Amino acid sequence: MKEKTNYIGHKVNRLDAIEKVTGEIKYMSDLYFPDMLYGKILRSKYPHALIRRIETSKAKAVEGVHAVITWEDVPGFNGFGIATPDQPVLSKDHIRYIGEAVAAVAAKSEEIAEKACALIEVEYEELPIVDNPIDALKENAPKIHENGNLCLHTEIKRGNIEKGFQESALIVENTYYTGRQEHAFLETEGGVAHIDTDGTLVIQVGSQYPQRDQLQLARCLGINPQKIRVISYPVGGAFGGKDELTIQPILALLTLKTGKPVKMVLSREESIISYWKRHPFIMHYKTGIDKEGKIVAQEVKIYEDKGAYSSLGGPVLNLAVEHACGPYRVENVHIDGYAAFTNNGVCGAFRGFGVPQVTFAMETQMDIISEKLGIDPIRLRKINALQKGDTTPIGNKLTTSVGTLKVLESIEECNLWKRRNELSTQDPKKPWIKRGVGLALTYQGTGLGVGLPDYGGAKLELREDGGFTVKIGTVDYGQGILTAYAQIVAETMRCPIEKVKVTLGDTALTADCGPTSASRGVYTGGKASIIAAEEMIQLMKNVAAPLLQASADFIDYDNGFMFLKGEPLRKVSYKEIANKFIDDGKPLPETEGYFLMPIADIEIKNAFGLPHHIFAFSAHVAYVEVNTLTGETRVLQGAEAVDGGVVINKQGYEGQVEGGFVMGLGYALMEDVIIDRGQFKNVNFSTYIIPTVKDTPFHIESIPVINPEDTGPFKAKGIAETVMVATAPAITNAIYRATGTRLYRIPATPEYVYKRLKEVENEKAHKGH
Amino acid sequence: MKEINYLSASNTEDALSLLSGFGENAKIIAGGTDILVRLKDNVIKEDTLIDISGVRELKGIYEDKDIIHILPLTTHTDIIESPVICKHLPILRDAVKSIGSPQIRNRGTIGGNIANASPAGDSIPALYVLSAYVRVKSREKERMVSINEFYKGPGQTVLDSNEMIVDIVIPHMKEQEIGFFRKVGQRNAISIAIANVAVKLEVSGENRFSNASVAFGALAPTVLRAKLIENALLNEVCDSPEKLLYISKLSEREVSPITDIRGSASYRIEMSTNILYEGLLLMFLKGWKR
Ligand SMILES: Cc1cc2nc3c(=O)[nH]c(=O)nc-3n(C[C@H](O)[C@H](O)[C@H](O)COP(=O)(O)OP(=O)(O)OC[C@H]3O[C@@H](n4cnc5c(N)ncnc54)[C@H](O)[C@@H]3O)c2cc1C
Repeated sequence: MKEKTNYIGHKVNRLDAIEKVTGEIKYMSDLYFPDMLYGKILRSKYPHALIRRIETSKAKAVEGVHAVITWEDVPGFNGFGIATPDQPVLSKDHIRYIGEAVAAVAAKSEEIAEKACALIEVEYEELPIVDNPIDALKENAPKIHENGNLCLHTEIKRGNIEKGFQESALIVENTYYTGRQEHAFLETEGGVAHIDTDGTLVIQVGSQYPQRDQLQLARCLGINPQKIRVISYPVGGAFGGKDELTIQPILALLTLKTGKPVKMVLSREESIISYWKRHPFIMHYKTGIDKEGKIVAQEVKIYEDKGAYSSLGGPVLNLAVEHACGPYRVENVHIDGYAAFTNNGVCGAFRGFGVPQVTFAMETQMDIISEKLGIDPIRLRKINALQKGDTTPIGNKLTTSVGTLKVLESIEECNLWKRRNELSTQDPKKPWIKRGVGLALTYQGTGLGVGLPDYGGAKLELREDGGFTVKIGTVDYGQGILTAYAQIVAETMRCPIEKVKVTLGDTALTADCGPTSASRGVYTGGKASIIAAEEMIQLMKNVAAPLLQASADFIDYDNGFMFLKGEPLRKVSYKEIANKFIDDGKPLPETEGYFLMPIADIEIKNAFGLPHHIFAFSAHVAYVEVNTLTGETRVLQGAEAVDGGVVINKQGYEGQVEGGFVMGLGYALMEDVIIDRGQFKNVNFSTYIIPTVKDTPFHIESIPVINPEDTGPFKAKGIAETVMVATAPAITNAIYRATGTRLYRIPATPEYVYKRLKEVENEKAHKGH
Repeated sequence: MKEINYLSASNTEDALSLLSGFGENAKIIAGGTDILVRLKDNVIKEDTLIDISGVRELKGIYEDKDIIHILPLTTHTDIIESPVICKHLPILRDAVKSIGSPQIRNRGTIGGNIANASPAGDSIPALYVLSAYVRVKSREKERMVSINEFYKGPGQTVLDSNEMIVDIVIPHMKEQEIGFFRKVGQRNAISIAIANVAVKLEVSGENRFSNASVAFGALAPTVLRAKLIENALLNEVCDSPEKLLYISKLSEREVSPITDIRGSASYRIEMSTNILYEGLLLMFLKGWKR
């Protein structure tokens, strides 16, 4: 049975498409104010050091310099960080990474600010460097923080792991490594701060959660949050990299100090060095399987390279722990995760939030098992697939919609998979070119998890023209929630989508809807919009009733009109209703919708935020070609079957699948910020390699798997992360299928693939003797 | 980025007299695709830029009997789209096609690629095997320099500070000449070579050659000619993949790469062998035909 909808599930063009392609939209980095100053941050010269002295007098004396600030100028608490505020706004004594902010300047021009920065004298005393998470946890390691280098330890034990391994017919044990991926958003951290006529400090910097920025800023500045307005939309890409604060506190300090608007836009180099990356992981996996292919035991040890400060590294570790065993039933588990501080820059939130790392490991394990036991990869996954009502490896019962089997069944039917045997061959004319098809499966929690305040909020206003403005604190950073919200409001209010305006990310105007992260944007803002819309309908019916000379209960509505049930010609338009409010001297109504995110009924002990309650599922297939003479890999085609509940916007869905697949491709084959002894080696797009259009597959099939989630807005869940998560192992499994060479490390650069090809060749030659 | 004087030349004479006037303090800017990156990185020591991009007489491709002239301001896109180049210098076309992206090829010029003297410059190995000459001019004199003698080191050429490139002179490939260009990079576009190679062979009989030119890029301080390989190709009967691999392995004796962020020296050495081998093998499988 399918309900007829006007917008939900259709292909709807992005409402912001035209202003974006014409360049008409003004990002925060595009803003100019009269009499504006330019800010510049002086960052540490060393990855690990003590500050002995900071001398700013020469910098202050430069003509055109309006302010030079150091830690002494931070009026409130000199720290920020979503989970633990342990990162100084401006460092006082202990430098923990090379991009750390030490001082800042506001000046008449960028050049003057830069010159003044160079004149700030800082005396450092270098400290020994900690450059990997395993060494960081050794007893004699130099301490990065007072309490040592352990940021978080999370351990989960279930069942009897020894017994499980004893009962296993096969045990597969490997160590995996993943790279330090950069978000590579188009717009680097940038924006302007100024003081409004009423004295409010206004911060306009693209970010993912204005209300939280406001609170963190209030704490640093020591002022009433009500006196701070954060405008965080529009933003030119984020992917998790703008969840935490970046330049905002420094920009705010410079503005407060000078009383003038101050602008700052980071160069790509400064952006890469200074702010968040995806955490590199080292993972030991030991999996025990019985003869039938059932996973009976799994032991996982995770070392997360946290970088210098906490930010969201703890929650990232916990999400990794939760998803470490994949969407499979495993009774006997021991998962032991460590997040360790190092002097390797800072890491934080990034699409997938710990799950891409463990999925690479787990799905490689599954591929190895499938081959060793001679069980088809999809069948192996079906044997172990979590289903509704099952208990997850970490011990919670799945009661919401579970699509593991459905995505597997859908991907099994896709062309690439059906033809995988004929496609997995060598090129007849160039036998050194080898092709293969690989598969991987994953899932991803929607929302923040147990123990964290998780809610949605939306305000809805009836405008004089009979249209509606919905105001939500989340932001559209490319994923398309702006259009999805408009669809949801238009569908619920039964009005043309052209009549819906969407205001996002502004503490003064929009409802607090939590962070734009954790695949929760559509779910939270969408559901809150529906609640606000339903209340609006009631208010409007009450006004329409006397106009239609009927009781509100007998009123129906559609297409921008309210009318008498069964008598559609006795009608008033929404505009007439709006005018009635005005005529009666009443303000136009604004309703608000709030709800608390449904959560699991248990809490996992000692694992903050776990478990999650609602999950999206996806199965990914990649078809690759490897040049065995060079190690170069091309991804020729891809496919994803994704269960995100009900699809809100088909076009948005396809965009997410294609974009997610390509981001996963970059993670699999090329992306890695290289840090050597605390120093960044590739700080711009000349050496930090991301996929170009020539590296993308010529076709990525997106297969929507409709699996309604009753609690969701129009039964939707969130897909924004899962779409990228399983791509890397699908690609590396395809490389194995093509070449017979297993990869335990991503990115699988041509050099790494080539090295592995040779190692395997040498092993074979050795065995032959 | 530092402040810099900017002057625009309207013709060759104008450019040359500006050059001789400013001497060491001036630098030519053509397409700017190398200069602007270096300017941003603050590694340009000169304080004046002389823009020659408006000098129309320095742009274009023409034939003079069996000699092709490519003027220095000819863009990579112009070269790729030229039927003359396609017909007579396919190795150069393939090399230039691998440069950057459409945007870079629309702006970047062949003169800039030559003068920039990057060991990884993609047109250079092709120009080596095609026996190109570079015509160099100052206000006082003019000279022809073989591309083989043009480079002194990374970023260093024989150009004097008052000289500029005014012509690139390349003989047609003969009918019995075949060849290829191949590069390995970190991705499929906007990719600086980890190693590249250009090869030209004159086929003289079955699996035999009367002329062989092989040039490697990104594998030494300058692009280099691989003499051992050339000799082997001339003296051996190249009648099996094994033989081609054997010859290709001589590259280990020719190259002296460094390790950098794009690739290790050992990977580069192996790639010098393998991309040469792959290209030779493909030609062998085609029966040494174009
Ligand atoms: C994103 C990107 C990707 C790139 N990819 C590649 C690639 O794949 N392969 C590759 O080989 N290169 C690549 N390059 C480098 C560059 O594009 C080429 O070297 C290009 O050919 C330079 O030409 P130009 O006209 O832009 O030179 P400019 O930047 O104008 O000048 C370069 C140098 O040549 C000198 N010069 C220019 N014209 C003359 C002349 N007539 N006489 C004397 N000196 C002269 C200048 O003084 C300067 O030193 C890339 C560059 C970028 C920015």
